[in-house]
Amino acid sequence: MSEKLLDVKDLKVHFPLRSGLFSRTVKHCKAVDGVSLSLKKGETFGLVGESGCGKSTLGKTICRLIQPTAGEIHFQGANIAGYDRKQMRPIRRDVQMVFQDPAESLNARHTVREILEEPFIIHGIGDASARRKKVDALLDRVGLGKQAAGKYSFEFSGGQRQRIGIARAIALEPKLIICDEPVSALDVSVQSQILNLLMELQKDMGLTYLFIAHDLAVVKVISDRIGVMYLGKMVEVADGAEIFKNPIHEYTKALISAIPVPNPRAEKNRVMLRGDVPSPIDPPPGCAFARRSPIKVSEEIASQPGDYVEVSPGHWVEMHPATVADYDSYAASS
Amino acid sequence: MDTAEISALSVRNLRAGFATKDGVIVAVDDVSFDVPKGKTLGLVGESGCGKSVTALSIMRLLPNPTGRIISGTIEHHGNNLVDLSIDEMRKVRGAQIGMVFQEPMTALNPVHRIGQQLSECFFLHFPNITKKEAWDRSIEALKRVGIPAPETRVTEYPHQLSGGMRQRVVIAMALACDPGVLICDEPTTALDVTIQAQILDLIGQLQADLGMSVVMITHDLGVIAETCDEVVVMYAGRVAEKGTVFDIFEKPQHLYTTGLLSSIPKLESPGKERLSTIPGMVPSLADMPMGARFAPRSGHPKIGEYLESAAFKEERPELAEVAPGHWVEDCEYVRVFG
Amino acid sequence: MLKFKLNPLTRKKLERFRSNRRGFISLIVFCVLSILALGAELWVSNRALIVSYEGELYFPTYGDQYSGTDFGEDYSFEANYRDLAQKWEEEGSENWVLLPLVPYGPNESDFKDGLYPPFKPSFAESHFLGTDKTARDVLARLVYGFRIVLYFSAGYVSLVYLIGVGIGCSMGYFGGKFDLIGQRLIEIWSNIPFLYVVIIVASVTTPDFWKLLLIVVAFSWTGMTFYMRSGAYKEKARDYVAAAEALGAGNARIIFKHVLPNSLSTLVTFIPFTVAAAITGLTALDFLNFGLPVPTPSWGELLKQGTTNLHAPWIVLSTFSAMVTILLLVTFIGEAVREAFDPKKFTLYQ
Repeated sequence: MSEKLLDVKDLKVHFPLRSGLFSRTVKHCKAVDGVSLSLKKGETFGLVGESGCGKSTLGKTICRLIQPTAGEIHFQGANIAGYDRKQMRPIRRDVQMVFQDPAESLNARHTVREILEEPFIIHGIGDASARRKKVDALLDRVGLGKQAAGKYSFEFSGGQRQRIGIARAIALEPKLIICDEPVSALDVSVQSQILNLLMELQKDMGLTYLFIAHDLAVVKVISDRIGVMYLGKMVEVADGAEIFKNPIHEYTKALISAIPVPNPRAEKNRVMLRGDVPSPIDPPPGCAFARRSPIKVSEEIASQPGDYVEVSPGHWVEMHPATVADYDSYAASS
Repeated sequence: MDTAEISALSVRNLRAGFATKDGVIVAVDDVSFDVPKGKTLGLVGESGCGKSVTALSIMRLLPNPTGRIISGTIEHHGNNLVDLSIDEMRKVRGAQIGMVFQEPMTALNPVHRIGQQLSECFFLHFPNITKKEAWDRSIEALKRVGIPAPETRVTEYPHQLSGGMRQRVVIAMALACDPGVLICDEPTTALDVTIQAQILDLIGQLQADLGMSVVMITHDLGVIAETCDEVVVMYAGRVAEKGTVFDIFEKPQHLYTTGLLSSIPKLESPGKERLSTIPGMVPSLADMPMGARFAPRSGHPKIGEYLESAAFKEERPELAEVAPGHWVEDCEYVRVFG
Repeated sequence: MLKFKLNPLTRKKLERFRSNRRGFISLIVFCVLSILALGAELWVSNRALIVSYEGELYFPTYGDQYSGTDFGEDYSFEANYRDLAQKWEEEGSENWVLLPLVPYGPNESDFKDGLYPPFKPSFAESHFLGTDKTARDVLARLVYGFRIVLYFSAGYVSLVYLIGVGIGCSMGYFGGKFDLIGQRLIEIWSNIPFLYVVIIVASVTTPDFWKLLLIVVAFSWTGMTFYMRSGAYKEKARDYVAAAEALGAGNARIIFKHVLPNSLSTLVTFIPFTVAAAITGLTALDFLNFGLPVPTPSWGELLKQGTTNLHAPWIVLSTFSAMVTILLLVTFIGEAVREAFDPKKFTLYQ
C-alpha cells in the first residue's frame, strides 16, 4: 500500500456575506462544507461537479490560496491548514496549480521566459545562466521549444498557453499538482493533446494530481479515483471504472446519464433532476440533494443529513433515502 | 427536385469575413448547406472554424462596419436574405428566424424585466397588440419553455434567474413569434451538464410540437449526435464533410472528422490511456492556403508531396458526393485512406 | 549588449497613438514649445548671448554676471546689454553684442520717459506682444510663466501619482480594515475646502513654489487612489496573481511585478488630463492672488492684469490664446492616449 500524500479531513470553507450599515455577517456561503479525501502518491483523483459545487474552492484551499474555515489538510504528514505565509513557502515547492483559463493565469506583461523563471527566482534556485537552461528544458518538456521563450503569452493559442501554465507548475518539480479545469477552455482536439501531456508528465515525474473538471468523460480518461461533489459536499467516491459501472448516488447517475454520447444510435435513458442547483448561500438543512432527487421524500426526511458509508472497498456514498435507490437494502446490510 | 420544397433555409456559396487594416479576413469561405424542413442541422467545428460567423450571416447580424457578407446567397421562403434591406430583414428576424445565443446573460437586457423584454418581441412584430395582450402572451411563452410560475417570473429581472432559466427565457424570446427556423449558437456551452440535458430536451420537444427547423451550432459532437439529423463539419472556414448524422458518425470520410471523433474522451474507455490527437494547430485565418486546409495536420502517408505541389497553393478542392447526400472535400490527402 | 524589446501590446498602443494624427502632432508641438520654454534664456532674456569686448568673447546667458565696469561703463550693477549694443553701434566700435530675439527679461520694466505703460506691441522695440502695466514684456512673461507651469505640472503629476498610486494600491491589495479605514479617512480629507486652506496658508506665510505645490498636491491625490484601488482590487483577484502566490511569491513581488504594472497602464491615460488640471489650477490660484509671490511671471497674474486693463487688449488676448493653445494641445494628446489604450471601434448591429 502506497503512502498517503494528501489527507484532507472534514474541510470547510465558508465565506461570510456581509451587508447592512455595520457590515454584519448575515449569511454564509458554504462553498465547501465538510469534505474529506485522501490522495495516494502517484495517483490522480478526479473531482467532478457542476458549477458552484465548490470543487474549485476546494482545490484552491488545498493549495492554500483560500483560508480554510475548519478542518485539516495533511500534506506529507503535516497539517498545513493553519500555516502562515512563511511556513507555507517550502510547501509551495511541492504543491502547484494549473488554472482553467491560461490567458488569465499568465501575466500578459511578462515574456514566457520571465513567467517560467519566476519560480526559480522566488525560491532562489540557480544563477541567471542556470535558470536560462532550466527554462529551455521546461519548454522542451512541454513541447513548445526554446524559441517560445522570448514571446508573450498572448501570442500563443489556447493550447500552447496551457502548456506554458503546465511548464510553470512543474518547474519546481512538485509532488502534487492541482489541476483546476485545465482543459475546459480548450477545443476537443487540443484538449486531448493537453490530457496526454499531463499523463506523460505524471509517469515521468511521479506526480500526483487532483484533477478538477465538470466534464465526466475527461475525468474518466485521466483519473484513478473519482469523487463527485454536490453543493459543497462529496456525495460519492470510487475507482474510475467502478463509479461508471456501478453508480449508487442518484446525482452521480444523473450526471453520467446527462453526458451527450457521440453516437447517434445511443439510447437515451436520462435521470432527470428537478429544478436547478440550489445556491450554496445558506443551503437547505439536511441532505442537500434530496429536493432535486428523482426519489421524492418528505421534507422531514430530506432535512435529515445522510451518512457517509463505504458500500464496497473504496466506494463511499452519501447514504440517504433520497439519494440511493435501494436505501433499505443497503441499510439492512450495514 | 425543387430544393425549396424540402429545405427551410438554403445557404449557397456563402463567403463572409471581416475588414481589417490589412485587408479582408475571410472567416467563412464558400459554404453551402440546406436546412431540411422540420429537421435539425448541426454545424460542428472548433473555435475559429466559422460556424458562428455563418449563423450571424444568416441573421445578417455581423458586426457593423467590419463584418460583411462578401458573396453567396441565403434562400429563405423564396427570399435571398443577403439582398434584403435592413427594414425587411428586421421583419424576418424573430418572426421567421429566431436565434438563441451562447451566453444568456448577455443576450438579455439586465435593466428590463423579463416580461418587458418578451413583450418587446410582440410589439415589434404585431404593431396593433395591446400591452395587456403582449404581457399575457409573454406569460404563455414562458409556460411553453417549462418555466415554473411564469406569472411571477415575468416581473423579475434576468439576474434573479439561474443560468438554465435564463437560457429558457432566451429560447422563449426566440420562439415568441413562432419562427419557422431556430438558430441555436452553442445554446448549452455555458450551462452545466444536467441543465444542458434539460435544455436540449426542451429544444427537441418544442421542435416536435411546432415543426420548426433547427440549426444547432456546437463544438460538442455528443450534442450533435443526440440532436441532429444532418451534420456539416466545418474546418478553417470551409465545409470538410456533410451528410446525415449516421454518415458522419459511422462512415466518416474526412480525416478531420475521424480525428475529432477519436480525440473525444469516451466514457467506455478503460481510463488512463493515451488519447489519440490531431497533431498541429488550426492555421491562422490571415494566411490560409488555397488547397485543402486540413492537409498539414492530416497525417496522410503521402502528404509531403501534396504540401509541396502547386495544387495545395492554388487549387480549391470541391466537395464530392461519396454516397447520396454525403459530401466530402474532394482531395485524396484529407480523405480517409486504406 | 542591451537589447530593448517592447512588449508587443505596448508597441501596438504606440502605433495606435501615432496613427492618431491630431494627437501625435499635438504632442510634437507641445514638446517643441516645452523645449523652447526650458531654453528660454537663449531667445528671451535681457542678457546678451555673446558680447565681444576688446577682442575677447563673453557669454553672459548662463554663468557669471558681468557688471557695467567689465565693459568699460561707469556703473557696477549688471551690464545693460541693450544700452551697450546701442552705444557701440552708434560709436561704430569694434565691440559688438548679440542680443536674444526678445531682449527683455520677465521681471524687467522697460519704462519710457513721459509715457505710461502698458505699451502696445511694437516690432521696432522687440516688444512683440507689448508690455504690461509695469512695462514688462508680455511675451517674456508668458514664456517664463509657461516654464514655471511646466515645472509645476511635472512636480504635481509625479507627486499625485506617487502618493495616489502608493496609497490606492496598498488599499486595494491589502483590503480589509486598512482599506475600510483608509477610504473613510480619504473621504473626510477630501471634504476639507481646498481654497480656505490656501487662503489661510497664504495669509500666514508667502507660499513659494514648493509650498504651493505641496498644498495643491495634498488636496489632489485622493482621486487617484480610487482608480488605483479598484485597479489593484481587480488585478489581485486574477488567476496570474494566484499563480504567483502558489509559487510562494511574497507581497512585494506580487505588487511590484504583477499588480502594479498591470493596473498602472490604465492610469497612464489620465496623465495629460492631470497636466491640464495642474495648469488651470496654478493659473486660477495666481489669478486669485493666492499663487506664487510677485514678481514671479505667471499666466494667472497676466490674465488678471488683462481683465482689469481692457484698454490694453494685447495682454488679455495673448495670455488667453496661449492658455487655450496649451490646454487644447494637452487635451488632444490625452484623447489620443486614451484611444490608443482603449481602441473600442465603433460597431453596431443593424
